[in-house]
Amino acid sequence: MTASTLSTRPPDADPAQARPAESRRERRKREQLEERDAVIPVELYGLKRGTVTVLTACCVLFAIFTLVPIAWIIFNSTKTQANIFGTFGFWFARPFEFFHNFRMLFENVDDDGTYIDWFGNTALYAVLGGVGATALSAFAGYGFARFEFRGSKVLFYIVIGSLLVPIGAITLPLYLVYSKAHLINSIWGMILPSLVAPVGVYLMRTYIRLSVPRELLDAARLDGASEMRIFFRIALPLMVPGLMTVLLLSVVGVWNNYFLPLIIFSNNNLFPLTVGMGLWSQHATTSGDQNLYPLIVMGGLVTIAPLIILFLILQRYWRGGLLLGSIAN
Amino acid sequence: MAAISIRELTKVYATGVRALDGLDLEVLDGEFVVLVGPSGCGKTTALRMVAGLERITSGTVSFGDRVVNDVSPRHRDVAMVFQNYALYPHLSVYQNIGFALENKKIEKAERDRQIRIAAATLGLGDLLGRKPDQLSGGQRQRVAMGRAIVRSPSVFLMDEPLSNLDAKLRVQMRSEVLRVHRSIGAATLYVTHDQTEAMTMGDRVAVLQGGVLQQYDTPRALYDRPANVFVATFIGSPSMNLYEAGLSTDGTAGTTPTVVLGSQRLPLPPPVAARVAAYQGRKVIVGVRPEDLAVSGAGASGLGAPGVSAAGASWTGASAAGAPGLVADVRLVEVLGSEQHVYFSVDATPAASAPGAAAAADESAQEGILLGGAPNGVARLDPGSGVRPGGRVTFAVNPARLYFFDPDTGRAISLLSDWPLGLAGERRSKRAASCN
Amino acid sequence: MSAPAQARPARDESRSRPRHSAWVRRRDRAGLAFVSPFLVAFTLFMIVPLGYAIYDSLFTSRIIGGTVFSGFSNYTQILTSGMFWSGVIRVVIFGAIQIPVMLVIAFFFATAFDLGVAKFGTTFRTIFFIPFAVPVVVSALMWGFLFEPSYGPFVHLASLFGFHNVDFLSNTLMLPSIITIAIWEWTGYNSIILYTALKSVPRDIVEAAILDDTPLWKIIVKVKLPLVRPAIVLLIFLNTIGALQLFVEPLILNNYSAGVISLNWTPVLYIYNTSINDAQYNLGAAMAVVLGLVIVAISITSLLFRRSKGEFS
Repeated sequence: MTASTLSTRPPDADPAQARPAESRRERRKREQLEERDAVIPVELYGLKRGTVTVLTACCVLFAIFTLVPIAWIIFNSTKTQANIFGTFGFWFARPFEFFHNFRMLFENVDDDGTYIDWFGNTALYAVLGGVGATALSAFAGYGFARFEFRGSKVLFYIVIGSLLVPIGAITLPLYLVYSKAHLINSIWGMILPSLVAPVGVYLMRTYIRLSVPRELLDAARLDGASEMRIFFRIALPLMVPGLMTVLLLSVVGVWNNYFLPLIIFSNNNLFPLTVGMGLWSQHATTSGDQNLYPLIVMGGLVTIAPLIILFLILQRYWRGGLLLGSIAN
Repeated sequence: MAAISIRELTKVYATGVRALDGLDLEVLDGEFVVLVGPSGCGKTTALRMVAGLERITSGTVSFGDRVVNDVSPRHRDVAMVFQNYALYPHLSVYQNIGFALENKKIEKAERDRQIRIAAATLGLGDLLGRKPDQLSGGQRQRVAMGRAIVRSPSVFLMDEPLSNLDAKLRVQMRSEVLRVHRSIGAATLYVTHDQTEAMTMGDRVAVLQGGVLQQYDTPRALYDRPANVFVATFIGSPSMNLYEAGLSTDGTAGTTPTVVLGSQRLPLPPPVAARVAAYQGRKVIVGVRPEDLAVSGAGASGLGAPGVSAAGASWTGASAAGAPGLVADVRLVEVLGSEQHVYFSVDATPAASAPGAAAAADESAQEGILLGGAPNGVARLDPGSGVRPGGRVTFAVNPARLYFFDPDTGRAISLLSDWPLGLAGERRSKRAASCN
Repeated sequence: MSAPAQARPARDESRSRPRHSAWVRRRDRAGLAFVSPFLVAFTLFMIVPLGYAIYDSLFTSRIIGGTVFSGFSNYTQILTSGMFWSGVIRVVIFGAIQIPVMLVIAFFFATAFDLGVAKFGTTFRTIFFIPFAVPVVVSALMWGFLFEPSYGPFVHLASLFGFHNVDFLSNTLMLPSIITIAIWEWTGYNSIILYTALKSVPRDIVEAAILDDTPLWKIIVKVKLPLVRPAIVLLIFLNTIGALQLFVEPLILNNYSAGVISLNWTPVLYIYNTSINDAQYNLGAAMAVVLGLVIVAISITSLLFRRSKGEFS
């Protein structure tokens, strides 16, 4: 059998493709209505009057709690240092220094390094590390999910068990290992360990077990396809939602990683944002006259903005995909 | 006063899908009514609206004289057996059955008594301590029933409770369900897609398709007097053979009304001809059930009723004078032991049956190893009928057991006086009138 | 089977296990190939350092004499070290308060969204999840500003309620403040996981409960909660591991309030300070191993505790 007999289309084609073209808004409206029909009508729960209002109010309160620090950082990124401490925290003040503060990020302050460099570093580590971790997790998850080789169970439990090990026990000795391997102050020293994501392996294994039927793979094997081809053309398209979730979690994980780069980098130019900001925060108190505070605030804002935007864009994936996290071991 | 009255019940989902359209139905006290139809026909939707689990778009549901549209399902005194049983997985059988009683704040001793009675009725006495995942499918189904009966409801609803069981168990459980129903005595609405269940269990059966009620009658009436092509092919297995035909007079001098089926002609005796007089000279759809075909030949007799048509003319399987014959080529013979299913072709155009009926009809008619062309009919014959694949056979057809349908609407063609009044009283004759 | 069983020689039992065909075995070996890239990285960057840590922990480096094998002397030193264990107790208290409070809040909101009894559920869920996108460093920085004793807005707010001169970062209030920060950081994530777990409870079970006229509180506690127990156990597990390794928040907050955070305030802080600042890698490694064992012990006990408490009758 030639490869052309293998279908590249996943068996259950996305039903949305079969529908006549509808605008994004129409589709969202329809999904909303379908969701409402799919849920038990609220009136069946027999709630007292006003319960909905009370509960919605609770949500509002917690939403305020959640947004308070974000709001603060937005407002205060526009202020001078004096104003940050002097004026009301939750509103603007003159002068409006947003762009000035933003430009400062591009300068090397205090010989601590340039924020923009840190941003670039973080992006590099997060993308390479995140994508790499996703790839490794996908392969490994597939191997654990659909193959039964000697010791696969034991190996999997060891991988999951590694979650119990404190970061210090792994990262600190890593520094010593690096110093022997000349990996101190190397970007690979940051990226390579980030490729190891036991949570990603767990999630992919669970997801593959749910969404890639064994029979499909066996049928392809009988057709004479090689394992690699089966993985890429049959299994991978079915794994996409799980991949998106793992990708999101991995990128976020590397972006937010503090401990590893703290240990292995002494060269300011290689810092990711987390370590750089930590350093600024330390210097802001010790050498207090530098106008560091506005920078810290602005820096914080620019650090979190890309991820929040990424979240809003990829909403569909973490909403449905974190389902996996709820499946018991 | 009917225990359940459904009037013009309609359900339209927010996405525009019309799941149920204007259902009219009545269930009398103690009656066992079956809602049957292919998947997507609206039967489960109707049941859930009676339970109160689904919002009603328009129409009313009444229990007795009380309209319950706006009554919460909690207060309707309705018990339901779900298709997947919906047992509480973390509770034991005892606790599952007793859950509703706890809510009613019945005290422990009394609760215990009622639980044990329900368990005994269903033979669950030894299983009270087990959890659902330690039970077989049939046992779980009985626990689901126990949970429902312990509440002594006035209305009993069942949503395909037997469809997850294997075939043999299903047959056993049919009588179980009826036994429980009789011991409770409540009005019961039972949903299934299996026409055999419907026919064997129901006091009356409502056939639905595409959200619309096709016919509501006793099983016998559904079999003898299907209101349209869909009901005709849905009830009975293998399903009725349908062909496009014409009505005319035969070629010789004389004006005997005749059914023209391809190149063959079947003369009709006067009582039958009178039924279809309005369609003289026009096209019709003619149907004949597989069990009403017999083999003309020495000694062989068909499985159809060798008896008396409405007009009193008798008929036997032998090539008696006057019994019309249908010549067919045999394609495939399935031996079942007690009977044979003979798949044949006649040179007539099979009528496209109503959508959905094909799903209900036997698939084997279209598959299997075939000799020659594809078959377009099936007959149920005695095992000793001596029919061979590849051979030619002449079937004796009892004209009194031919069914006629309008080719455009699919409705059955008949005369008002031909329809005896049944349980549904005047409603049935109204429907009969609309069939002309 | 026509061959009588006793005719088969007993030798068969001693043959090696695989009764699979060669094809199946070859196929399974492919599985190993898929897993190996990850395993290689896993070994290099997790097992090797861990092994190194354990190895290192058995040595001591002295100024005079260099690094010398010392067996378990590091461990005895740690086990009797009040500084280490006071840090452990502190994070245990931290976890014991923070985790239940956060899980209750997360479950409350997850249930509200699942039942649909609060409006705009999708919007709120998105908002609640935002803290997950914020690096711990940045969140500690932000909250540090908010709590700042001289100028922070929360100090103003507290005085509006009649509490004057509150120092959120003082010795007494530092832990509660960090608890608040942790709740801010993690509630959204936990509530999403609980929400999806609640969504996977089969709809007909809840409908059956409704037909049985079960009041809402009972539906939540006696029908839904037991069925999401696996998710709750998982969350307790993950949260415990995280809580015991508290590090970043105290480290950053130290910049706002000097002197409150001691070198051994949390175990990981102590490890960090010992290894990096004091350059006592061996002792630090031993501490890390001990901490690892403590984490394992506490995680396992919390699982068992949950299992026996979770039987709702």
